[in-house]
Amino acid sequence: MSEQQSHSYVKYSTIFFALCICTVLSILFDFVDLRGKNLLGLNGVVLLTLVVLSIACAKALFVMIYFMHLKFEGKWKYVLLSPTIILAMGLTIAMTPDIGIHYYVNESPQIDYLEQAQQMALENESANNAEKSHVE
Amino acid sequence: MGLPIPHSKLGMWLFLATEIMFFSAFIGAYIVLRAGSPGWPTDANITHIHVWAGGLNTFVLILSSYFVVLALEGMKAENFAKARRYLCLTLLLACVFLGIKAYEYSGKFEHDILPGHIPETPRMAIDKSMREMKQVVDNRTIALANFKRPEKSEPAKTNETVELAGVTDEKTKEVIPPVEELRSKLQTELEAPDTSESRKKELVAYFALETKYRDLNKRALAESITLPEMNQELDTLKKKPAYGALLAPVHHLQPIIYGNLFASVYFLLTGFHALHVVIGMVLFVVVLIQGKRLRENWNDYVENIGLYWHFVDLVWIFLFPLIYII
Repeated sequence: MSEQQSHSYVKYSTIFFALCICTVLSILFDFVDLRGKNLLGLNGVVLLTLVVLSIACAKALFVMIYFMHLKFEGKWKYVLLSPTIILAMGLTIAMTPDIGIHYYVNESPQIDYLEQAQQMALENESANNAEKSHVE
Repeated sequence: MGLPIPHSKLGMWLFLATEIMFFSAFIGAYIVLRAGSPGWPTDANITHIHVWAGGLNTFVLILSSYFVVLALEGMKAENFAKARRYLCLTLLLACVFLGIKAYEYSGKFEHDILPGHIPETPRMAIDKSMREMKQVVDNRTIALANFKRPEKSEPAKTNETVELAGVTDEKTKEVIPPVEELRSKLQTELEAPDTSESRKKELVAYFALETKYRDLNKRALAESITLPEMNQELDTLKKKPAYGALLAPVHHLQPIIYGNLFASVYFLLTGFHALHVVIGMVLFVVVLIQGKRLRENWNDYVENIGLYWHFVDLVWIFLFPLIYII
């Protein structure tokens, strides 16, 4: 009994360190800043999202399997957890075409503002460039 | 027959299943809104979301989860002192988490990053600054006007209005005279020869501020002032020794496209998570006040609040990358 206990004790601390390393990893990815880059044929933002979300999933699995003892539970865990997880993901997927992708032309004031802001930034940039070339 | 686990544990797991759906509804809505909103604010200088604060909070919650596991281990080994110690540490870490959260929230309030308060275009930002400045000027008018005659007229006036109107709403309306009227009174006071020097100085500063406001407001209405210009004007006004301090409630102009949606989602997600943390703290307190009476009949309870706490940790594990990093 006591041997088994000390064994699992060590295991818990290993899990804890693994979780810490995962956290540091995801913070590192924030500092690397993939946003502006195009790697592996993927948009930087999409890549960053995939990477940090998969790290989060790994952390969640660590917590659920070891800290919440799901590894040592009976088959009931599947009966209880799979419907909720499927429904939870189903809800998100169901909302995606309407709000996330916009299968219709998306008309919102914010999109007009964004266009205005981008145009203004472009104008400023060209004005600055003109000034610089004038100086040179 | 039945499942080989205590009823309370089955109950907790069923509850956690509903909680998964609760949080994934909000998280899913956030992901979908985020994906469908081009130009969502991500710049940390604009949103004032700091990765270090989120990362620190992640670490705090992971550590507290680890401590809960150790506490449960102490319970099972009948080492109740150890269990108490780790439960105490967990409660402490929960306080640390809420402290960091409160620090972040106070930053949001300071910069007025609140749902419904955020201008999304330069035009809206200028309008907002003019509203805030008008509020400052009006408050100053009322403050200066009351300074002169504090209790001389007010009680008599309320009595009169009570007799006349008899309705409380109208009474309060009567007590505060229109700002324009107060302003003309202050004007006559400024011109009067018997006004004291210090009072005159205050009034001069007030009228300087008021003229400046009218001038800026005219330019704002005529749309002949741009956002950087307005920010510069406000900054120079704030540096004026005579009335600069009064302008503290006027915020630096920073339009954020989709800022209101962002703030709503941020406060909804982190607010509900913080609520769960508070409930978890209450559950920890319940077991900790048992003190030395903590015995093995509390094993199931500690296991169940442990499960709950791990779930709170789990939610934060997803919130951290979604809100702070992406």
